[in-house]
Amino acid sequence: MSREQMNPTIEKILVNIEKVMIGKRDVAELSLVALLAGGHVLLEDVPGVGKTMMVRALAKSVNANFRRIQFTPDLLPSDVTGISIYNPKEMEFQFRPGPLMGNIILADEINRTSPKTQSALLEGMEEASVTIDGVTHKLNKPFFVMATQNPIEYEGTYPLPEAQIDRFLLKMKMGYPDLNEEIEVLNRAQRVPPIEDLNPVIDLEGLLSLQNEIKEVYVDATIKRYIVDIVNRTRGHGSVYLGASPRGSISLMKAAQAYAYMYGRDYVLPDDIQYLAPFVLSHRIILKSEAKFEGISAEEVVNRVVTRVPVPVQRLVK
Amino acid sequence: MRKRDLPSLFLYTFGFFLLWEWLRPIEQLTETDNIEMFIFFLLLSFAISFFHMKWPWQLIIKLVFILYSVNRLYYQEGFFQFRWLKAFITDGADNIVLLAGRHWNDLSNEFRTLLFFILLWLMVYLIHYWLLNRQRIFIFFLMTLIYISVLDTFTPYSAKAAIVRTIIAGFAVMGMLTFYRMTRKEKVNCDSSFLRRWMVPLAGMIVFSVLVGIAAPKAAPIWPDPVPFFTANNNKEGAEGNKAGPHKIGYGTDDTALGGPFIGDDSPVFAYEANGKNYWKMETKDTYTGKGWLASGSTLISYREEEFVPVTSYPETVETIKESARVIVHGKYKYNYIMYPAGIKMISAMEPSDPDGNRFVVDANNERISFFNNDQNPVVPRAFTAVYEIPKYKAADLKQTASFDSEKSVKDHFFYMQYTQLPDQLPDRVKVLAEEITAGKTSWFEKAKAVEGYFGKSDYTYDQKNVAVPDTNDDYVDQFLFETKHGYCDNFSSSMVVMLRSLGIPTRWVKGFTGGDFQEYSQDDTSKRYYQVTNNNAHSWVEVYFPNQGWVPFEPTKGFTNGAIINYQTDAVPASTNPQSTPPPVKKPQHVEKDVLKTPEDAKKSFDVKNILNKAKLTLKNNWKLIFLVLVLLTGITATLYRIRGKWVPYCVLLLYRFKKKDENIGAAYLILLNQFERYGINRKENQTLRNYARYIDTFYSTRDMTRLTAYYEQYMYHQSLPKGTWKESRELWENLIKKTIT
Repeated sequence: MSREQMNPTIEKILVNIEKVMIGKRDVAELSLVALLAGGHVLLEDVPGVGKTMMVRALAKSVNANFRRIQFTPDLLPSDVTGISIYNPKEMEFQFRPGPLMGNIILADEINRTSPKTQSALLEGMEEASVTIDGVTHKLNKPFFVMATQNPIEYEGTYPLPEAQIDRFLLKMKMGYPDLNEEIEVLNRAQRVPPIEDLNPVIDLEGLLSLQNEIKEVYVDATIKRYIVDIVNRTRGHGSVYLGASPRGSISLMKAAQAYAYMYGRDYVLPDDIQYLAPFVLSHRIILKSEAKFEGISAEEVVNRVVTRVPVPVQRLVK
Repeated sequence: MRKRDLPSLFLYTFGFFLLWEWLRPIEQLTETDNIEMFIFFLLLSFAISFFHMKWPWQLIIKLVFILYSVNRLYYQEGFFQFRWLKAFITDGADNIVLLAGRHWNDLSNEFRTLLFFILLWLMVYLIHYWLLNRQRIFIFFLMTLIYISVLDTFTPYSAKAAIVRTIIAGFAVMGMLTFYRMTRKEKVNCDSSFLRRWMVPLAGMIVFSVLVGIAAPKAAPIWPDPVPFFTANNNKEGAEGNKAGPHKIGYGTDDTALGGPFIGDDSPVFAYEANGKNYWKMETKDTYTGKGWLASGSTLISYREEEFVPVTSYPETVETIKESARVIVHGKYKYNYIMYPAGIKMISAMEPSDPDGNRFVVDANNERISFFNNDQNPVVPRAFTAVYEIPKYKAADLKQTASFDSEKSVKDHFFYMQYTQLPDQLPDRVKVLAEEITAGKTSWFEKAKAVEGYFGKSDYTYDQKNVAVPDTNDDYVDQFLFETKHGYCDNFSSSMVVMLRSLGIPTRWVKGFTGGDFQEYSQDDTSKRYYQVTNNNAHSWVEVYFPNQGWVPFEPTKGFTNGAIINYQTDAVPASTNPQSTPPPVKKPQHVEKDVLKTPEDAKKSFDVKNILNKAKLTLKNNWKLIFLVLVLLTGITATLYRIRGKWVPYCVLLLYRFKKKDENIGAAYLILLNQFERYGINRKENQTLRNYARYIDTFYSTRDMTRLTAYYEQYMYHQSLPKGTWKESRELWENLIKKTIT
């Protein structure tokens, strides 16, 4: 991508994050895309690469309430959503909100907990509300979940069901920093963690209005067709057992709107779609076992699909 | 694609047409009749297939139809009297035994019909399978083409229209199937506009290629048409076989069963050197049988070479022009008769010659002249000189005759009976028509002229191919006059003879050759010309007897002219002395159109579409070499221009867009630029975004123009709006880039 003129507010947020995170601008950008598009992110990576740091920096930049849930096998749904406790003094049940009642939530190692607890989280993500003891509690707005998943441990994990993994707008990997970046990480680690010094760039009101503006970003009919073509092709691909759903198309469009907005445009380009397609679609398709054995990854499949769909360069003939 | 939508209906229809092409020749080439039963069966099967009926229903409907057909074709009893079914089943069982014993020829017709139905059933299923499951039909299409062309080459079946039909149906099916195969493979959602964008060009291309195929000049076959060879082998020698059916054109002696198509044959018969063209007689016939012609008897007269030929067709009072012609007969000529012009006086310088024994025998009844050496059997002539006199009739004299007193003498009576003979079963309407045509005319001459002119009417067509053979109950003339109206000389001449005879005018049927084709001027005597007569020139015409003027020839066949020289002026004007102008030129049948156009009746309706079409056809025929050359030249120029389009197209578009003002012009201009880059060889990959491509172009030319221009185009394309006044800048960028592609 050529470095276009970015939206100044967003540029500031990214600069803020870069103060604590070295490298990883693309991850920061994508997380911001998800946040702006009102979606959630699934990070698949090993511990210790800075996931928490990034989310915290993000939360700090938008002046959001940050919560963290460490998922363990014995975690109960009420530990996530909150619980009603009897107060003998008032003679009634009082609701103690759980960590889900924050704005930006880091759900660490989400595949370690039981499906019951997972679904409590995922329901909250989808409905933007939780129901406890028959009372529906609205979640805060904005509400953004960054879930992490450890790809190397399979023992004692509960992989997310396909229907639920669909709820994440983007899935990405963080990756290790390169040599120079890692040295810089060491240099900074000698000082006080700078995260405490970060100043918010905008407040939650500002973030909400950004989210609303993004909905106005223009998506041309040719682009919509391009999106649908790509999603459609994943359904017929030879290595794919189950292709992306229409929810995938919607997610791709929303992410592209946010991405275009981030780069100061009020319209979506095919470039946006091409860049985002692997992050949006790869966790929404199920590969055939043959393909898995051959070592083909879902990202590769999506990339191949993208190279096969012609980019629209002419207006539709009416 | 298992839907009952319009495209599958088209597919089925074209599939049906392709299969129909297999059935069409069967009726003509084999003894199979009632072909419409089978065609209807095909239609039914395709319809059932199209509506996706459950298989038990399919089975029941088809079986009932087959049984019903068999019942209708072979059994007298009604369909619901089931006795016939028993007979049919017994017959089937017997035939299965025969099948097992490989006695193919003993199979009964019922059983064959049943087998044929089953074959068609299988074929319909196969086509259904190819169309909908495999979505491929090329092999079947190719087989159909081969089948048709083989039949066209080796049998009398003419595939002229069939090949066009097959090409249309085949291309359409293959084009549609390709579309469906691709959409299925690529998982493309095809909406109706997408479909239209494929189907409309497809239809256009089919129409275009068919028109080009029809209009383009076709190379002559590199080997001679083998059909005449086969039929000649089967029928002994062409027209001599008395089986009605396809004949090879040529002279024959047996005319008892006329009708059926002719196949051209340009092998030479004889050549002659004379002042002008004229018809050559071989014989005349007097008895019409309803199917053809016979000679009623024979009266042989012998004479010697130096004597006058004892055949006179006109009395001495008629003015004449003296002529002579040297005839050289082709080696393959095998008849024992001599061809001669009307008004023959003397035949001399015969070859082979035997000075002592040369003699001729004339059959006064049919005017055949045979030549004998010193032998009992007639000799085939090889060369001779004919001295003859061309009569010049006066219309006034001809018009004198209005009746004939046949009771004057016994001889006259017999003569009159002989040449007004007609078969008893001749339908009355022939006579009624003859009377209608000649209403108001009194003299024989006027009546004959009226009948002769009647055939010039446009509803009679000269045709060598679509000529019917009369059935047992049909009359040859009646069928031509009232039903088919297509025919060649035999039809026209026989019809005229029969009509005149029905009016009581003595008339006879004459056979021979037309004047042939002019070859060159004679080397010895430049006033003489050299003509070649081929089998294609075999002809028949009419002679009408006028008591005071003798036998006067008439030419009813459309497109031919011969006729006698008739002076229509009342005063006797001295005969023209110019020998060149004497016999009116004889036209070949190939120029039918030209002659038709000249008839006054048609001239009146000169704005007739048919005429215009004919004219266009004629122009095309006469100038096709020029047209072809111009077309080749144009194609060449177009191809060259197309090849070097990268050099001149940019200048055109630069000029075109210089004067445009609207910002929206970037849309078309940018696409032109993309095309121009593609021609230049730096094309965009399909999956490459414009931005990406623009960077590539800019690296290539070391500019930033393309990126800047692309930014505008992106707004135009993906935002559907442009800031005002951008065209000026984008035009500059665009011009820079276009110019780069020229250098």
